[in-house]
Amino acid sequence: MWTSAAHMNVTANTMEKLFNKILVANRSEIAIRVMNACRTLGIPSVAVYSDADKNSKHRFYADEAIHIGPSPPRESYLHIDKIINAAKQTGCDAIHPGYGFLAENPAFAERCRQEKITFIGPSPEAIRLLGNKIESRVKMSGVDVPIIPGMKSSASDMATFEQAAEEAGYPVLIKAAGGGGGKGMRVVNSLDELAPAVEAARREAKNAFDDDTVYLEKYIVNPRHIEFQILADHHGNTTHVFERECSIQRRHQKIIEESPSVAINDELRARMGADAVKVARAANYTNAGTVEFLFDESGYYYFLEVNTRLQVEHPVSELVTGVDLVVEQIRIAAGLPLSDQFKNLTQRGHAIECRIYAEDGENNFFPSSGTIVHYSEPVGPGIRVDSGIQAGMEIGIDYDPIMAKLIVHAPTRELAIAKMIHALNEYKILGVKTSKKFMIDILRHSDFAAGKTYTSFIENNMSDRQLDIDSYKEIAVAAATVVSLSATVPTVKGMKGTTSLSPWEVIGSWQIGDSIHD
Amino acid sequence: MTNYEFLFNGDVVASSVEKDGESLKVRLGEKEFEFHSAGNNLFSATINGARHQVAVVKHKGVYYIDIDSVLLEVQEASEVGFSGGAGDRGGEKDKVFAPMPGKIVKIMVEVGDEVEEKQPMVIVEAMKMENQVNSCAKGKVKAINFAPGDQVGTESPIIELELPVEETSR
Repeated sequence: MWTSAAHMNVTANTMEKLFNKILVANRSEIAIRVMNACRTLGIPSVAVYSDADKNSKHRFYADEAIHIGPSPPRESYLHIDKIINAAKQTGCDAIHPGYGFLAENPAFAERCRQEKITFIGPSPEAIRLLGNKIESRVKMSGVDVPIIPGMKSSASDMATFEQAAEEAGYPVLIKAAGGGGGKGMRVVNSLDELAPAVEAARREAKNAFDDDTVYLEKYIVNPRHIEFQILADHHGNTTHVFERECSIQRRHQKIIEESPSVAINDELRARMGADAVKVARAANYTNAGTVEFLFDESGYYYFLEVNTRLQVEHPVSELVTGVDLVVEQIRIAAGLPLSDQFKNLTQRGHAIECRIYAEDGENNFFPSSGTIVHYSEPVGPGIRVDSGIQAGMEIGIDYDPIMAKLIVHAPTRELAIAKMIHALNEYKILGVKTSKKFMIDILRHSDFAAGKTYTSFIENNMSDRQLDIDSYKEIAVAAATVVSLSATVPTVKGMKGTTSLSPWEVIGSWQIGDSIHD
Repeated sequence: MTNYEFLFNGDVVASSVEKDGESLKVRLGEKEFEFHSAGNNLFSATINGARHQVAVVKHKGVYYIDIDSVLLEVQEASEVGFSGGAGDRGGEKDKVFAPMPGKIVKIMVEVGDEVEEKQPMVIVEAMKMENQVNSCAKGKVKAINFAPGDQVGTESPIIELELPVEETSR
């Protein structure tokens, strides 16, 4: 078999190794997503993990793993010295930050530069400019990209907020200057709600971003959220990778995203795409980023912000374009120019993503914690799962509750919706609550099918929704009965079937790490 | 035929099951369900003539079930006890619990306050998000057991209420 071995050598030699080793400064599904890209490119990856993650999937998925301290993010995933030391200790010449944690921290990107470790993302200067929502509003209005009316600087006194609210007209939105993910954000409908909302937004912003700067802008009622993926290399090439519509949100956080958007035609798509590229150029942007727009009912769009990182929902763009965005990030960071595929990029078919959070979709999306006692993924053509969990894992309350993402691709939107409903039903996660059923009810809603997807969709269409749990009483008890019987039947070694007692229970007082014991 | 008793959403439900060749026949009163094991905690169940994939696992006395993405929990009648949950815990309407472990950010009432059902009582922060916990009943605040900044679990009540007489004697 020497011929095939020789062939493999040729392949390995012709594929230029872009970095020696990449440290992935994140956890859960996004860490694993990045490690997969590294593997595709033949680059070893290094995981970092905290106490809470010592049994987590990402730790064992990487080629190496470094423990970086206690569970609180400040003492581990947000601790710049520890991340840098882990990179040095393992000989990494690049760091991918994922999303969240240090991904949009300019001080971290700066530190990487000082340490001569490549930060796989934009420059600290671009992160600093765009990370400040107020500064970027000012900058983009300067290059004729439309922005939302509102404050162009923050204020410490309530009088300024009151005046700005008066000028913009209620309802208004309080936002954290350094924010994202719905944290530090409050809608205000009248003057008497303003002060408590500013107070709450400051508190949340301080906790989440260590910066309590908040500002006010006009609240665009019933908009769509449409964003453009951008890529920019270090040779002056900037391109967009089309749009994602992310209008389905609860608590200002996206839960269902899709591409393409049903709201824009090719002419508008070209105009918004060109503006997204303009935004990127104005900020001297490099690597992958996302330009977010709000799209109002009259068909006007406004620049919202740039997310200077890989987005949670990047897979929908990947499925409709065939681009591996993380591979592109790594190539760009290594100094390669954008490849020829971007000259003739097209959107093919329709992709939808559902985020699988550890939260109770039947009870206000309250975070849910517990042990994953069963885990099985859907499979089939056009079905992709980006997951950070596996059976036996503890889902705690230390971190963002996203566990996985389910993404489907089909020739049409209608088929993509049907495929997603099927895939959600086949995606079985037991032990913590999720919003699977809630999302299926959205996907089945006639307004969703009609493409009437606005950020107020859940509020307008789902508030009266009540799952009739009692109608499931008999089938639920029947299922429990079946397992009770199976559990009392002695299992013969090698016998087909299962006791359906979770292995984490059968193991009893054995210890897997320290986190599971009776 | 083996008989069981379970607790579902506050109701005690009796069932029986027997093996019928490769399938399991479960009977609840007049209703009958047929199950086939598909391995790995999965079963094919026939519900109203259609096949559904049901996932079910027993873990520490609780049966965790997924039927068409509806997530359900059933307890053995002998293993009944409270296991977390939101502010409302059925019988304990006079107590306000945290929906999940977290930090108390704000308490919006004082001892002696008259409160309405669904009135905001406490804000608990977990996973960087603030969650508002509302009262499950109309009543008077009897005791406040925590202060802002305290870490709270789901087992001890944050606030206790004195309910109007007709509510408590229900």
